[in-house]
Amino acid sequence: MSFQLSCPNCGKRAVGEFAFRSEVLERPSQDDDFRKWAEYVYLRRNHRGKQLEWWYHRGGCQSWFLVERDTVNNTDHCSFWYKDLQQVLATEKEG
Amino acid sequence: MARRIQAHRYLTLPERGREISFKYNGKTLTGYETDTIASALMAEEVKITSRSFKYHRPRGQFDAEGHGPEVLVTVDDEPNLWADLIPLRDGMEVKSQNTWPSPEFDIAAVNQVTVPMLPNGFYYKMFHKPKWVWPLAEAQIRKVAGLGKIDIKGRHNKRRYEKRYRFPDVCVIGGGPAGLGAALAALEEGKQVLLIENRAELGGHSLFDLSPVSGSPVSELNGQPAYQAVQTLIEELADSPNLEVMVNTTVFALYEDNLVAAQCGSDMFKIRAESVVLCPGATDRLLVFENNDLPGVISARAVERSIARHGVLPDEDAVVVTTHDGGYHTAMMLHGAGAKVMAVVDSRTGNTPGHFENQAREAGIEIHKGHTVHRARGGRFVTGMDVGSPTGSDTTRSFNCDLLVLAVGFKPTLNLLSMGRKTPVWNIERGILQVNELPEHIYSAGEVHGNASFGRLLEEGSTAGKAAAQGAANPATSRTAEEIIAALPADIECGGKNHFICKCMDVTRNEAQASIGEGYDQVESLKRYTSMGMGPCQGKSCHEAIARLAAIDTGLSPEEAMPTTMRPPFMPTTFGILAGRAPHLGPIRRTAMHHAHIDRNVKFLDAGQWKRPEYYTTPEEEVKHVRTKIGMIDVSTLGKIELSGPDALDFLHFLLPGKFRKLAVGKTRYSMMIAEDGILFEDGTLSHVSEGRYYLSTTTGNQDAIMSMMMWWLTVEPRDVQVKNLSGANAAINVTGSGTREFLQPLTDVDLSNEAFPYMACREGSIAGVPVVMFRIGFTGELGYEIHYPAEYGESLWNHLLEEGKSQDVKPFGVETQRILRLEKGHLIPGTDTDALSNPYEAGVGFTIKDDKPDFLGKAFLKDFKDRGIKNRLVPYVLDKGVVIPEDGVAVIEQGKAVGRVTSSRTSPTLEQGIGLVWLPDGMAKTNQRFTIRNRKGVDTNAIVIDHASYDPHGERLKS
Ligand SMILES: [Zn+2]
Repeated sequence: MSFQLSCPNCGKRAVGEFAFRSEVLERPSQDDDFRKWAEYVYLRRNHRGKQLEWWYHRGGCQSWFLVERDTVNNTDHCSFWYKDLQQVLATEKEG
Repeated sequence: MARRIQAHRYLTLPERGREISFKYNGKTLTGYETDTIASALMAEEVKITSRSFKYHRPRGQFDAEGHGPEVLVTVDDEPNLWADLIPLRDGMEVKSQNTWPSPEFDIAAVNQVTVPMLPNGFYYKMFHKPKWVWPLAEAQIRKVAGLGKIDIKGRHNKRRYEKRYRFPDVCVIGGGPAGLGAALAALEEGKQVLLIENRAELGGHSLFDLSPVSGSPVSELNGQPAYQAVQTLIEELADSPNLEVMVNTTVFALYEDNLVAAQCGSDMFKIRAESVVLCPGATDRLLVFENNDLPGVISARAVERSIARHGVLPDEDAVVVTTHDGGYHTAMMLHGAGAKVMAVVDSRTGNTPGHFENQAREAGIEIHKGHTVHRARGGRFVTGMDVGSPTGSDTTRSFNCDLLVLAVGFKPTLNLLSMGRKTPVWNIERGILQVNELPEHIYSAGEVHGNASFGRLLEEGSTAGKAAAQGAANPATSRTAEEIIAALPADIECGGKNHFICKCMDVTRNEAQASIGEGYDQVESLKRYTSMGMGPCQGKSCHEAIARLAAIDTGLSPEEAMPTTMRPPFMPTTFGILAGRAPHLGPIRRTAMHHAHIDRNVKFLDAGQWKRPEYYTTPEEEVKHVRTKIGMIDVSTLGKIELSGPDALDFLHFLLPGKFRKLAVGKTRYSMMIAEDGILFEDGTLSHVSEGRYYLSTTTGNQDAIMSMMMWWLTVEPRDVQVKNLSGANAAINVTGSGTREFLQPLTDVDLSNEAFPYMACREGSIAGVPVVMFRIGFTGELGYEIHYPAEYGESLWNHLLEEGKSQDVKPFGVETQRILRLEKGHLIPGTDTDALSNPYEAGVGFTIKDDKPDFLGKAFLKDFKDRGIKNRLVPYVLDKGVVIPEDGVAVIEQGKAVGRVTSSRTSPTLEQGIGLVWLPDGMAKTNQRFTIRNRKGVDTNAIVIDHASYDPHGERLKS
């Protein structure tokens, strides 16, 4: 892995500066069935293709942000703040 | 006889520079500062440079490209270096490899006349036989294997390895005509350019190209001989402020997103370029024929380079074997140096003579058309050769020559191109393997796409350089009919059993055919079975020959002859280069009191990146001191996070499993940290320091993870909270022991009386004018105060306390001491006594969890754990006095089965017996239960579960 990621704050940096958390998941509510919690904690879709992920600029500004990354070849990724997620999703739907 | 020439009829020789001396196998030899090790050895008539891997056949210099195994040497104790790439230095100690006692008289060469010592498929078969055979066989192989000996005490190990970084717009790899053209064009576009060349000088093969330049985009070069034109270009480049040139630098890998990895001396460069232009060029083809490995069989460019760059004539009587006009160029190079060119043997018939063929005719050199070499003759080196038809039949003529020069076309150096993850394909028209498609922002130009003249290569490089600068598409390349060099048959089949395909691993055509006969008829399996292409050159010399011959012998068409995958590294790379400077795991972090610890002869312990005092005298002595007097420990490495703002309490309620609404100002509470999976991963204290201002202390190792977790939650569920990481900003000391109050009271304005400042409380104040926050907590089991204060005062306050405490015998203690002290109290350390499966109820810290909160981290899983009930427990134990202390991590044995495990085991200096913490099945985790611990040697020890702590079980000392 030697690709570069764009931190929305710092710009393009080597992937080694960042920490990966997981694909974007929806946290269940405490009223949900335990099975849903177990899936949230342990199961990943591990999608082949474009997926939305959490990354942390550990060796930089220490911000969390979202990246849409192609898991096949790490190309064409875009990154943005979590607060802009709804807007990005809306734009994608239009597009 | 090889000799140094003083002048050349057709070219101006470069300055030789200073004469220097060096050692070769203990003998002092001389050379010049412009030499490589190989050129100096050649001038000194060292014909046999090594012995081959299996048969110990004599081998000499072949292509001067840093590809072949023949010229691997040990330099100043560092093994496996290519003599043909390394510039000669004064006083260098060079040794040959794989020879005993010397390359000239090699005892193991007896192998040639007896059974081969490593039969075909040896490695492959060895790994499939009973495994116990391998170590025995390996020892035998190592003795004679073709590689140098690693000397861990050698001089090279004193080197300092560094990682360095570059971020050019355009990185051009290869300093030949195409690379120079690319660099110039990118510079003209205003780009920052990095130009990398693996030899000592720019210019590539054009440094010894006598052809007059035509078709150059730089018009004033036209008409000049290429070797002069290239110098003009290099001089032009020298003034460019936007250019950095790195010579003697080998690019060994090209990774994703244009990360170029290069080695220069002891430095590894990580280069990230917007665009990369690959101009790696091509090298002389290997031709397979009888005795093609004899010293004296040499590539055309090796001869030309030796004469034109180093002024060394390799030998007197030469025959040039060729398939194109370049062979005549080599003949003229030899002729001009005063050698006797006995003949040019040209496989072509009826062609229009080229520029140099005409010159050779005028010079009266004998020319044999329609012929090629059949075999080299000679025992230890070439003394003659036979020629005949390219099909291998009809040997018609013999020569008594001592130099057999191969000018049979060029083999593109595809490695870096194919590391862009594009497979090479045969370009049948051009007769070469080629990588056409490259990923975006990677470009290529030059001889790697086929032979062409200086002017054309320059232009092609320039086009690619311009495209690279503009981010345009990779331009296509073309070759004219005159530029294309027809290949000879992959093997000149004229009998004999010494047709070497892979010189590194000593594999002949016969052996390859036998292996195919055994069923290894795919290039990949053939490679693994015979180990062809798996030696030091990693296929750079032989991959083309392997592919072509495998195709013939398995009945494939030439297009189907695929070489094996080319992977990094391009050149063998040492661990030192990859690892960098030791310790390489990251920065070293030292506390503010670091030097005060050194003054007291501390033994340090690595805790993550931190250096922490392990102990100063002995842990036993220090434990006794804390239990009877006063000790202090540097705990500056603790994580220290301050939270404030309107939502701080709400946020803490979500992060931590406890409830803190009743945590009044001035109070401290012990808390676990639980991850979403319900697992206990951390503990610490939370203090309400002043109204709305909370201070969370965490362990050394987890502080960064906790900070990042907090930041994540604040991103996902924004709250009005200020999180300040004070871990580095604050130093901290824990002062502990029964006399601590009397010792500290005179030094501070904080009232330390038990009434004013009880156990689990915190106070702000000052000591010696330094602002401090004090926490009354007791990990050690004694009365104790943890003092946090600005790190700027770290050392001065530490020294002040030790100075003031002299009369009360206050002494520092270390982390190992603290571990014993806490174990006497039965306190767990997360990560030491717990792991990724430890649930907090079983670990005995369920009391910190208040699960009637609406939502908090880990709630769902904690409920599940509670529902399932307790299966195991972490409990303290003691051993009988005098028994051997088991190691950490050993098993508890019940009826022959492992049912539990010890997580911490020490001798308690206070109780003078073994103590520890152990995970046991719930049924066994009862006070006074006896159980059996089996240590690593298999010796069993009896232990007894105890209630609470072994020391001060009810905490009277702590709270007094
Ligand atoms: Zn950043």
